[in-house]
Amino acid sequence: MLEIKSIQVCYGPAVALWDIDLYVNTGELVCVIGPNAAGKTTLINAVAGLNKVSKGQILFNGQDLSRTEPHLFCSYGVALVPESRRLFANMTVLENLELGSYVKEAKALRSQSLEHVLELFPAMKPKLHAAAGSLSGGQQQMVAISRALMARPKILLLDEPSLGLAPSIVLDMFKAIKQINASGISVLLVEQNVSLALDIANRAYVLEEGRIAQEGLAQDMLNSASIQKAYLGIS
Amino acid sequence: MPSLHLIIQSAVSGLLLGGLYGLIGLGLGLSWGLLGQINLAHFGFLFLSAYLSYQFSTTFAINPLWALCILPPAFFAIGAGLHALIRRFKMTPFNSLLLTFGLTVIVDALIQWIWTADFRKLEYAQSNLKLELSGIYLPYAESLSFALSVLCASAVYWVMKRTDMGKAVRAIAQDPQMSTAFGINQKFITMCLAGTCTALAAIAGICVSLIFTLNPSQLYTWIGVVFAVVMLGGLGSAFGPLLAGMLIGVSESITMVFIAPSWAPIVSFTLLIGLLLLRPDKI
Amino acid sequence: MKFFPMHTNRPLFNILVIGLLLAWVPWLGLSAFWLSFFYLILYWSVLTLSWNVFSGYSGYFSFGHGAFFGIGIYTVAYMCGQLEMSFLPMVCLAGALAGGAGVALGALVFRVKRVRGELFALLTLAVTFIIATVVLNTPIDGGPGVYLNSVQVPKLGPSTPATFYLLILILFVVALLVSRYISTSKLGVALFAIHDDEDAAEVMGVPTFKTKLAALFISSSMAGIAGGIHAVFVSYVTANEVFSINVPLFVVLMSILGGARHWAGPALGAVVITSLQYLFTIGDNALMGKMALGVILILVILFKPDGFLGNRAKANSRKAAKQIADSYGVRSNSAHQDTPTHFHVDHQHAHHHAHMGESAGKRQHSSEVLLSAKDLCMSFSGLKVLQNLNLEIYSGEILGLLGPNGSGKSTFINVVSGHYKATGGHLSLSGVEISELKAHQIAQQGVARTYQIPRPFTNLTVFENTRLVASYARGISLTQATPFAVEALEKVGLGSKIDALPQDLNLHQRKFLEFARALAAKPKLLMLDEVLSGLTPSEIQSAIDLILSIKAQGTTILFVEHVMSAVMALADRIAVINYGQLLAQGDPQEVMRNPQVITAYLGKKLDNA
Repeated sequence: MLEIKSIQVCYGPAVALWDIDLYVNTGELVCVIGPNAAGKTTLINAVAGLNKVSKGQILFNGQDLSRTEPHLFCSYGVALVPESRRLFANMTVLENLELGSYVKEAKALRSQSLEHVLELFPAMKPKLHAAAGSLSGGQQQMVAISRALMARPKILLLDEPSLGLAPSIVLDMFKAIKQINASGISVLLVEQNVSLALDIANRAYVLEEGRIAQEGLAQDMLNSASIQKAYLGIS
Repeated sequence: MPSLHLIIQSAVSGLLLGGLYGLIGLGLGLSWGLLGQINLAHFGFLFLSAYLSYQFSTTFAINPLWALCILPPAFFAIGAGLHALIRRFKMTPFNSLLLTFGLTVIVDALIQWIWTADFRKLEYAQSNLKLELSGIYLPYAESLSFALSVLCASAVYWVMKRTDMGKAVRAIAQDPQMSTAFGINQKFITMCLAGTCTALAAIAGICVSLIFTLNPSQLYTWIGVVFAVVMLGGLGSAFGPLLAGMLIGVSESITMVFIAPSWAPIVSFTLLIGLLLLRPDKI
Repeated sequence: MKFFPMHTNRPLFNILVIGLLLAWVPWLGLSAFWLSFFYLILYWSVLTLSWNVFSGYSGYFSFGHGAFFGIGIYTVAYMCGQLEMSFLPMVCLAGALAGGAGVALGALVFRVKRVRGELFALLTLAVTFIIATVVLNTPIDGGPGVYLNSVQVPKLGPSTPATFYLLILILFVVALLVSRYISTSKLGVALFAIHDDEDAAEVMGVPTFKTKLAALFISSSMAGIAGGIHAVFVSYVTANEVFSINVPLFVVLMSILGGARHWAGPALGAVVITSLQYLFTIGDNALMGKMALGVILILVILFKPDGFLGNRAKANSRKAAKQIADSYGVRSNSAHQDTPTHFHVDHQHAHHHAHMGESAGKRQHSSEVLLSAKDLCMSFSGLKVLQNLNLEIYSGEILGLLGPNGSGKSTFINVVSGHYKATGGHLSLSGVEISELKAHQIAQQGVARTYQIPRPFTNLTVFENTRLVASYARGISLTQATPFAVEALEKVGLGSKIDALPQDLNLHQRKFLEFARALAAKPKLLMLDEVLSGLTPSEIQSAIDLILSIKAQGTTILFVEHVMSAVMALADRIAVINYGQLLAQGDPQEVMRNPQVITAYLGKKLDNA
């Protein structure tokens, strides 16, 4: 479904991602892990259209996204849950959700999508008319994921969903992500919480200093010594 | 000590005039708050519209309100087009302020060239019409301006709150990248917004031509009051400028009654400086 | 070491020569028309130069220069015209009052942190209206204007127009000298830094509030004096004329056209625009003239925003830096290598360091506490980023500050450096409480930091970037700071780039410029915020070697980092924070094996819930 071929992404003079090859099959949950500043956010932003790709291609169901206008990505079925949520803080939760379904295809199904996300995260119901910025971290994360779901995506991109959240909330979050994937939506997940990410994923890639260092089945990576070394520096 | 009747009449007149301030400030505030542009050309367009409205009614000898059908759409196109053009050049917000300043100077010179520095007063049938409510007079032009101001503010509020496009505008102002990620076409929407702000200037200009005697040098005298209205009312707000305008209008007229007319200009700035002293984080 | 003066005396010499030459003009037998024309050119030059000294240099564009000018005009108009005081002392008073008004305005506005630039522009415009109203409604003018024909002016030249010409010429020479002097002085380079990045300037030790006030005072008082002289030149003043949009519009246009960065740019702009305007007025085309001005302003903003002399100013900067480099024997042609020569570039060296560290017992630290954070709290709109953080940094050590993303590491550095003010708790440096100090004061106490994404002053050369920090952080003059700046740049290997502008540097070099700036300040505590991110392995090695050599000269270092190999190689101790609180601290190997730390980094599994 999603195929990233030898892409290179630059930040001004610096190259952030070198020659990345990655793929996500329909229905899969793929995670990308790696130390901080490895380029994980850059990668996900490139897939979402927020970063320009200087070399290579991003093929989504045959469509070359790297040659497409950024605002069209959503209508092709790509939805992003960005790092630190990035909700429209001055707008209400409901307005945020409505904006999630801004594109034509999603707008037609807006009321159904709304029902669906409220079933998934019932805690949002009482907060529908509250300003999004006034919610707690965990609540904001629910809204951010719901906003993306409102776009009726074919693939859901998540950038470090556990960031800044209390451990118990993180567990619920990951359960929800697993549920979403089970309902048929492919997921590309970037995460610093290695255990949780590898636990729910089918396959994983390890990104280090802008390059893919390892790839394979998530189960195999869970106990790998090289992961421990990369993250904790202990050998 | 002025009579109660005089005070109330002044207050009402000030309130109505404040509506006009609010109408002028509406477009400017939307542009500043949502586009991040301080568009000084707003004043140039305001006066251009006023003069065109004058010319239109005088030449064709018809009711000036017909200008409402022609000028706002035309100015919408001008504003949108200008925005698209300027957008091609990447410049700092301050440089765009200077650029729009340059535009205003050109428009000002253009107005002076076509209509000369002579005073121009639009003569129309209803100019002496007044509504009377228990001894208080509500002049036609001022009341109409007030009504238009309320109408425009309400329309803007409704669009911002209820339509997808309005929400998209607010989203772009908050986080342009995320808006794009959810399919909002930033270029198109901001262009429409810019056009709307200019159209609002056009409507305000028609009102100005109904109320005031026109003279090119007056262009700059409005800048101060309108900016005070925008800053007090809040950038990007629909009803804020209207309320701030009414407050300033009433304060000005009360000042005129109790102190002297020529002190009126100082009122808005005193209020503004007061705001800055007491609540600097509000800006 | 051969000492090279900061600026050659050529420009000063040139200014005085021009002044003397122009002084002969009144005796050339020209008609009053021409004398008036030259007077106006010089008068607009003074106004524009005075505007530029504050607004052009600092980037705080004021639309209210008319207010200060107007205060000057009306002081003389009222004092001389109505109260019949003598001319010259009242001109001085005009300058003083205008200067005072400038300081008052600045003190009011510079406190408001956000929207500084545009707000300042509009407020200065508002002030003009207020003063105009006051003038119109009080006996100062009252409405009809003030006549000044009867004011006695000292006879300086063969005719009255000549006298005004000479008076304004003196002011013109003074304005040029002031503009030139400031552009190369400590005050000037601070203004340039404020122009590029005010917050960074403040954190590096520049007292931004005082700097802006000082420049504004100079600017407004010069305008006031010019106004005072002009009042009697025109001999009849009205509030509408004086406070019209003309003065603000013209000075902005002239400055931008000529080049706001160059000390003589405004004067050039004034000559061009005034001459143009005269041409239009003579040809009875005043309106066309006005339209032309608008068009010129737009064209300049779009195509030449730096003005005619903008590039010249940049070139002068580079030349000055090159001269410094030459006098210190530093190679300043950037032809060859980009990577510094001092440092080895292979991985074996890194291992060598790592091993050395483990065995040589460099993990010991002195017992003297340099920085102490007690119950430090920092909240942003209710969100608690730092919660009762307790941390101590010992003198002479390298402390690694680690933690997952969002744990508060960068915020800690921002609080210590004064970028943010802590919402609770205490911070002390060598026993001195710093949590209440302003950022520039903290810098002067000996705290320096680098930014994760480099924030160099984009319009200053590499040399000036470094020297500015050395000068302000240490509290010494520019001349005294020069050797320290050169030394710091050589140490980081940027000697060959000393005359480059930040735009010419790659990411690695920009990061090392951050290093150089911090080093030049000779801080007690150096805080490094993710300096290694984005660097190639060989560049990382250079950085590690550099950090070790900095420690060797006695500086205490706190660094936030994610490249684990570097952390292990460098840190004497590690502190791990999570959710804004201290999780563990101590010996690196031990800390990273701490189960809580492992959980914080790697997380718990789903079925462990």
